[in-house]
Amino acid sequence: MTATPQAEVHTPLPRPSSRLERFGRRQGWVVGVALLLAALVLWRSSQIPAFGAFEVRGIVAGTMTLALLAMAQSVIVISGGIDLSVGAMMVLVNCIAARLMLDQDLGTVVLVAVLVVVVAMVISGLIGTVIVVSGVPDIVVTLAASFALAGLALVVLDGPGGGTNLRFQELLVGGFDQPWPAILWLTGVLLVVWLPFKRSRLGVATYAVGSDRAAAFLSGVRVGRTRVIAYVMGGFFSGLAGLVTTAFTGSGEPRASIGATATLTSVAAVVLGGVALLGGSGTLLGPVLAAFCLALIPPLMLGLGWDPNYAEVARGIIIIVVVMIGGLLQIPRRSR
Amino acid sequence: MSATTAAPAARDWRQILVDRPAVALSGVLVVLYVVTATQAPGMFSFNGVRSTLLLACPLAILAASQTLCMLTGGIDLSTVMTANFAAYVAANQSGQGPLVALGLALCVGLAVGLVNGIGVGVFKVNPLIMTLGMASVLLGVVTVGLVGDGFLSGSTRLLPVLRTVASGTLLGPVPTNLLVWAVVAAALIFGLSRTGLGRAIYAVGDNPVACRLAGIRIWQVLLAVYLLSAVLAALGGLLFSGISGSVGPDQTNAYLLPSVAAAVIGGTSILGGVGGYTGTILGALILTVLNRLLLALDTTEAFRQILYGLIVLALAWVYVRVTGQRGGS
Repeated sequence: MTATPQAEVHTPLPRPSSRLERFGRRQGWVVGVALLLAALVLWRSSQIPAFGAFEVRGIVAGTMTLALLAMAQSVIVISGGIDLSVGAMMVLVNCIAARLMLDQDLGTVVLVAVLVVVVAMVISGLIGTVIVVSGVPDIVVTLAASFALAGLALVVLDGPGGGTNLRFQELLVGGFDQPWPAILWLTGVLLVVWLPFKRSRLGVATYAVGSDRAAAFLSGVRVGRTRVIAYVMGGFFSGLAGLVTTAFTGSGEPRASIGATATLTSVAAVVLGGVALLGGSGTLLGPVLAAFCLALIPPLMLGLGWDPNYAEVARGIIIIVVVMIGGLLQIPRRSR
Repeated sequence: MSATTAAPAARDWRQILVDRPAVALSGVLVVLYVVTATQAPGMFSFNGVRSTLLLACPLAILAASQTLCMLTGGIDLSTVMTANFAAYVAANQSGQGPLVALGLALCVGLAVGLVNGIGVGVFKVNPLIMTLGMASVLLGVVTVGLVGDGFLSGSTRLLPVLRTVASGTLLGPVPTNLLVWAVVAAALIFGLSRTGLGRAIYAVGDNPVACRLAGIRIWQVLLAVYLLSAVLAALGGLLFSGISGSVGPDQTNAYLLPSVAAAVIGGTSILGGVGGYTGTILGALILTVLNRLLLALDTTEAFRQILYGLIVLALAWVYVRVTGQRGGS
């Protein structure tokens, strides 16, 4: 048997993929969104005669809330869930902060800021715990929670009001022509909070749970705990979003429809940013860039002389079309 | 889960609840109704029963569209916007006679459903995203139509026929809109359990891969479901406008959570393949009575909202606990 010369058998080895291919597969979508954003910013800058620090600050500070909410939604979606209460959480934090920060000095205001973010993390963790313990689907629990949180916001502040410290506002979102604080805060949160988390055991566990819960469980990941922690992270980001709202508007506004719209846009940014709704893939950079793309649509339409109300239509169509294209791109990969 | 470790007797009644969720839900409804009657007088009068049925009707019809989508494993977040849009179109075009106005309103539903269905069925867009995007588009279209001399500007007048159907009384405690509801309910319950499409809807929600291999054209089933869903949404919107006596671009938005909740409480799984419209009817009634109870309590709107959210959550939790129908793992 062993003596007979064997015919040359060619087992087709999988060709090792090059660095570039891997980068393209992993980050291709994010690069695409970044290019889209760059194109939109260029377009916008060509519409205004003097595109300077003032305009940049307007865009960045105005979109920061949405970018942070997109981060909150992304972490939770990556862990395999979905949170329809991020917007309501933002409104609640905005109301608590505005009520407590009214006429306080900077030290107290910063203390309050830390406190409300912790509150948001605790509530969000509670929501996550309920989801894990009860086994009720995420959509149902968070939809019900969004109702309760919006009610809570009304208890805290029964109408537009409250206030904050001017210095705090400048620190968080910058003065009228100061784009840097907002940019630095956003990149700071991504670099200091998200990157270490993603690289840590917890981060890897989050991706594992999102991509296949049963497999993660069998490999010794504590599924329930990981899912709850993803919600706590989401609470952290939505808490920050509430703070930024307070700093940007300088007041509190308990209107529930603000939260609902913000939630929907956060889901849109997540999908546009290349985070699969099935969980387990994507990063936070994509949704942040996508949030900026979505926020640029209304001013661009205004610049074109169109009714900015069409922006809502355009946003919806863009979301659907992008997801369709994403689905079509997936088809050849699946059939291979 | 826990059903396997429970004593046989306990497993029996749990099994009964799993097989016949309507029994348990009716019990909850009766208890809730009696509790409400202690807080709000007149619940046992003709008028009390009538107003409960009257208010439950639009919710139950919006929840019907949610039930259909959820049975296939989807969800329709554009129902309330479709309902608003359809009701607004009907009121705006009421000058052209009831037939044209109602026809246009149903065309709105058909158009929305067609686009949703093509997106979800043919292009395989995630239903959540598809209907979310659609809600966004509809909101924009309505807003644009309302400003200046848009296509929706101009006077709105409610169709008299809608007012009669939606808020009239047939006899005794039976409101006229119960007729519409009964027709929808009969069609859905019969259709889901006895027709090919109905069985296909359950099958697609249960196991799409097996369906594809068995030769079911999934995209046709999904297209039909989203078409039906949007038409039901339009119908719900019309009935709501008849009750409220007015139209507004966002008047049914508060029904989004209750419509999903009614289906969930009624035992329809958001993951697809399990449930039915009987449960949803009871879910809608339970939520309507709950709302009445909260209104009777002497609290602020804020606390009412908190309680509502928490109770919906608790009901869903108890349901999932008892029947062992768990999401995910």
